[in-house]
Amino acid sequence: MAEPIDPQTPEASAAPEAPAGPYVYDYAASPQRQIVLPKTVPLPSLKTYLAEQKAAAAADEAKWVKMQADFESAKAKAEAEGKDAPKPPVRPVPRKDDNDLKTPVPQAAQDADLLTLVALLGDKVEEIFEQAGELVCQVKKEAIFEALKLCRDEAALNYEMLADESGTHYPAATDFAFSVVYHLTSISRRKRLRLRILVPEGFVPESACAIYPGANWMEREIYDMLGIRFANHPDMTRILCPEDWEGYPLRKDYPVVGWGQRDITFREDRGGMIERIALQKAGQLGINLKQPKAE
Amino acid sequence: MGMSINQPSTFEHFLITTKVEKVMNWSRATSVWPVTFGLACCAIEMMAAGASRFDFDRFGAGIFRATPRQADLMIIAGTVTYKMAPVIKTLYDQMPEPKWVIAMGSCATAGGPFDSYHTIQGVDKVIPVDVFIPGCPPRPESLIYGFMKLQDKIMTSSLADRYKDIFEEVG
Repeated sequence: MAEPIDPQTPEASAAPEAPAGPYVYDYAASPQRQIVLPKTVPLPSLKTYLAEQKAAAAADEAKWVKMQADFESAKAKAEAEGKDAPKPPVRPVPRKDDNDLKTPVPQAAQDADLLTLVALLGDKVEEIFEQAGELVCQVKKEAIFEALKLCRDEAALNYEMLADESGTHYPAATDFAFSVVYHLTSISRRKRLRLRILVPEGFVPESACAIYPGANWMEREIYDMLGIRFANHPDMTRILCPEDWEGYPLRKDYPVVGWGQRDITFREDRGGMIERIALQKAGQLGINLKQPKAE
Repeated sequence: MGMSINQPSTFEHFLITTKVEKVMNWSRATSVWPVTFGLACCAIEMMAAGASRFDFDRFGAGIFRATPRQADLMIIAGTVTYKMAPVIKTLYDQMPEPKWVIAMGSCATAGGPFDSYHTIQGVDKVIPVDVFIPGCPPRPESLIYGFMKLQDKIMTSSLADRYKDIFEEVG
């Protein structure tokens, strides 16, 4: 015989949580709301690449030394116990990679344009390298205006066009937060060049608008998406997001679904429009919905 | 009286009797003028529906007006961003009554693939929607089918429906 269910027992009285409808999407628990900050700084650089190669070679060497030491100790132990000697270790040969599938590595600069830039700017250049035949020059963040002016006006360089200007957020980097890259094109010489600066949070680099007027909207977009302000810019306002937007969406610490903009409702009767229309329509039908006057 | 019920009266040989409401609904449903308003790739399909192959004009909806003040229908064809939402609301408020809205495609219906910070997850968060058309983008046949559904809705609507919400709001 089955036990009669007592409705007063805590199991029965505790009403189960009302399941949310399938149309209700929990934005707070959404995986898009969670922030995962990157641990690495994927900034292409010759210095970093060489340091990485050196560290990998040192790790290989240390491993090999350890394998040899292990072999020596195992050999001594086997001799003491009168067993057969173990096999000597073989140094692993690095496997040949398929070069087509590898990312082109940064190489030392040989192009005349980069050498000209170094000769003209001196110690304001932080780094020059080539990668897959593309020229990259990293200058000091205070000297970007001078470098751009030089690239446009110097007869040996003659980069007439600023094809693009972009920014990237590197939260894992310690001595800078953003990189701003200027993609220059020389139409007459059919060459391309990248100028790069690394800026910390809060630094205000000089605007390129005085040299390349096309930088106007690109710098506004960088400000809109990353929050880097540019000095001497004619109109440093947001360009893509609405004017009252909070936060900078392309920063890595910005959740994909945004910071509460989901909850904005546009259908509320802000200006009292529904009430005004109702009074008007009711008046047309001969109904007085207005409150009687106090007098 | 000698007149049988099966035989039409003299007047009914040249008169059609109907309801005023039905005539008004019929005239509204067969001359719905959409506003020229495209937001993304769905607008391409909307243009195809308006062109000669699919010929939206067969349903009386081929006259895309360039101002909301002359339009009855707004086809939200594309992704609605937070920057565009106040514009859509303004356009909708500028349209004269009676007015209808079709949310065309998955973006206007529910945000589509853009589950992101800048996209409104369905245009019904901004303005009331009559017909939702799924698809990414919907083919012109889908738009025409959705429009025929809207015509059905208009034909079954009542003149009093228009004031229902307003009176409920005032109380």
